[in-house]
Amino acid sequence: MLPRPMRSFVHRLLSRPLRLPAILGPRPQPGDPQIFRFNGEREQIIAEVVRRTEQHFAADPKKLLYALNEAGHAEIRRLSAQGDAEADQALGSWRRLVKRLGKMSDEERADSLRAIARVMAEDIAGNFDPRVYKLATRLIPGVLTAVMNPMGLPNQLLAGGFAQLDALISAEGPLDKLRRLAQIGTLVLVPTHSSNLDSVALGYVLMRENLPPVVYGAGKNLFSNPLISFFMHNLGAYRVDRRVSAMLYKEALKTYSCLMIERGYHSLFFPGGTRSRSGTIERKLKLGLAGTAVEAFSRNQSRGLHRPVFFVPATLNYALVLEAETLIEDHLKGAGQARYIIDDDEFSRVDRVYAFLTKLVTLRSALVVRFGDAMDPFCNPVDDEGRSIAPSGKPVDPGSYVSRRGVPSVDPARDAGYTRELGDAIAREYQRETVIVWTQLVAHVLYRYLVFATPELDLFSRQRRRGEVAMPREQLVSEVAEARDRLLRAEAEGRVHVGPVLRSQSPERLVSEALSAWRDYHTKVVAREVGDDVLIEDPNLLLFYQNRLLPWAEELATEETLAAARSIVNQGGKA
Amino acid sequence: MSAPPVGIVGGGNFGWGLAHAVERAGRQALLWSRRPQRAGTEHIDLVSGPAALAEAELIFFAVPSPYVASIARELGVHLDGGHFLVHISRGVVGDDLHGLTQVLRSETPCRRVGALAGPLVAEALITGAPSGGVVASRFPEVRAAVREAIGGSSVRLYSTDDVTGAEFASTAVGLFATAIGFAQGHGLGPAAQAMLATRAMAEAARIGVVLGGKHETFMGLAGFGDLMAAVAGDERPELAIGRAIAENQPFEQIGSIGGTYFEGLESAGRIAAYTRRVKLHAPVITLCAAAFAREIPAGEAVAALMSREVGEE
Repeated sequence: MLPRPMRSFVHRLLSRPLRLPAILGPRPQPGDPQIFRFNGEREQIIAEVVRRTEQHFAADPKKLLYALNEAGHAEIRRLSAQGDAEADQALGSWRRLVKRLGKMSDEERADSLRAIARVMAEDIAGNFDPRVYKLATRLIPGVLTAVMNPMGLPNQLLAGGFAQLDALISAEGPLDKLRRLAQIGTLVLVPTHSSNLDSVALGYVLMRENLPPVVYGAGKNLFSNPLISFFMHNLGAYRVDRRVSAMLYKEALKTYSCLMIERGYHSLFFPGGTRSRSGTIERKLKLGLAGTAVEAFSRNQSRGLHRPVFFVPATLNYALVLEAETLIEDHLKGAGQARYIIDDDEFSRVDRVYAFLTKLVTLRSALVVRFGDAMDPFCNPVDDEGRSIAPSGKPVDPGSYVSRRGVPSVDPARDAGYTRELGDAIAREYQRETVIVWTQLVAHVLYRYLVFATPELDLFSRQRRRGEVAMPREQLVSEVAEARDRLLRAEAEGRVHVGPVLRSQSPERLVSEALSAWRDYHTKVVAREVGDDVLIEDPNLLLFYQNRLLPWAEELATEETLAAARSIVNQGGKA
Repeated sequence: MSAPPVGIVGGGNFGWGLAHAVERAGRQALLWSRRPQRAGTEHIDLVSGPAALAEAELIFFAVPSPYVASIARELGVHLDGGHFLVHISRGVVGDDLHGLTQVLRSETPCRRVGALAGPLVAEALITGAPSGGVVASRFPEVRAAVREAIGGSSVRLYSTDDVTGAEFASTAVGLFATAIGFAQGHGLGPAAQAMLATRAMAEAARIGVVLGGKHETFMGLAGFGDLMAAVAGDERPELAIGRAIAENQPFEQIGSIGGTYFEGLESAGRIAAYTRRVKLHAPVITLCAAAFAREIPAGEAVAALMSREVGEE
């Protein structure tokens, strides 16, 4: 990361915060979300990140020396492996630093740490331009696709008008309440993560539904596309370089995120950390940066600032997932964590994104974004006025959770306890707020049949059975109908939601549309009609789409299919 | 700032034991019980209702597990996020075997909760005889508050953040103590009892890990330590209950030995159902559940326990 690498002028211009001249910019109005004030505060925020990072390490000379050594060695290791021109230059300065560290005085070490923290903070800090935001608000339906496909807007979109995009993405949940809460406190959106399109799609939904824009930590790899980089920078995204493992960097990043929430910037985090490789709903959440919201709340309380923080779980439910093929393959290889940053998936290929979008625009409700009810950082529900509500139904002061004997304090160990509980609560909400869409249900019934027909096989052997098992189409349609009825019953009990298409279309139509949607988008044939049968061609993609239904698989099954459903549940998200 | 009083819910032996430990630590105790049975002391105030406990920061729940939810609901109205709640009950709730801290969390606004586990017994707390236990909480300040409130030279308290493990170990020990009493009732000797205890604890640890707990918790004070105290004869009712089951005494008679029979019966049933559902191998607990509920004759249960295949340890 240090020092700034040499790159082409254009690339540097686009990958660093590119801003329009400030003189022409509109002044933020009262009532505007905090992010409209970001550019005025940017320098202050960076300075504060540097100050707090220094305070964290420099108070103890041993800790300071260790942090610099650790950062130096981690960066030398990473940059040596990277081995390009960018790396070579930075490598030299890290080597010089590590060499000199032993002879430096504490003051000199603190100076070095400050300098490094500043470069890191500047690298992290985003930008926000209200003009870009307003432009995006008008153009966003096009922007959503244009960002993905800089070569030109898809013809279908232009021909069909932007109205199509409204039907393409539906938003559900307590939207009025969220709009009110956004005026009262700071929203921390914590959605499920399926695709690199998630943040863009969410950004669009927030705009469309008159919810405020959010700041979001985006992987640095997403900034490699200059156009995406431009929009991300100017719409509040900050950069997270997941390749950098130094604790100094992690501290700077956490401090930045905490500071943004402290200052009232609505924020977005994917608490699952990475896209769900298996297609299952995330069950174990570590929260990561989202945990800084608890610290931000404590810090504000300690300063006497009683601004509430509202966690808003959300689920993104795609009929088609752009990167499905790569994700499930990665999952089955068991390489999920090893390939934490996948940079050669469908998202990086213009032709795949184009194919995806052209298929997507022909669908209705191709993506259902469902917002859950807001909770405070201590897992209490909040009412319409933003008050935390205790189980007795009475309001409870959220400040009491960060206080002892009435005195608020900042206590990282305590807040880590709250964060773990919050992770559990959000994971529970995910399941309740999941919207099952039609492709998932059709995939589930087909996959269940595959398991039914191959009971003796283990997961891996089964996944190799391509083009060998055919399900009578009539049976598929009737099992889809039966499974949907059961799903609707689970919905009536408040345990899941059913998407608009799945709810309203005939089972016959659901089957046809699922087969056609997969056929038109995926490069691999998922399943195809042969005579009166549907032949299963790609068990991997079926597994991916149906995995979303795991928590309900047993109750969707009839007596005949129960054994197969159980077998699917037991194989679970494991592989 | 002077330390606030320590609240205690429950006027049974354990409630009083905690109150005396608080008194010995130089703190004021507020004890709330519908039937306090004894008179207060200079440092133990008997309070007439839950509202008075709001004055405390740390509140112990020393009531049998079936009453925890309703009492927590009643007390919760008077509390906020600044209170710490710690229970001492053995038992699991729901199909997913949640511990009672989960009940405290869902019935009150309190989040800083914990559990006391291990071989702490009421008598030792009352008399000040050397004893110890484990305080489990995700919150270091709760662990510290419990140590400050009742810890000292006679009560050695270790701490862990593995709440799930400690709560489940504590529940499992209650069952296994009953199982050992049952084995004793059938005349099984020390070696057979040791085998039963060891296999049972390994089984509990497997389930505990699936629930999210740590294996080592079962090997420590909350698990083996507690079970050893039971077998060494710390007079807890579970062993007597186990022997009574072995003697085929009627349900009501067994119940009169201690309410823990019915709690144990319920917990064993829940755990056995859970292990069936998630396909965990749990022969000891499954047999315990069946024998406690009298679904199989006692003699058959003993034979089944001893005839299991021998494998690697």
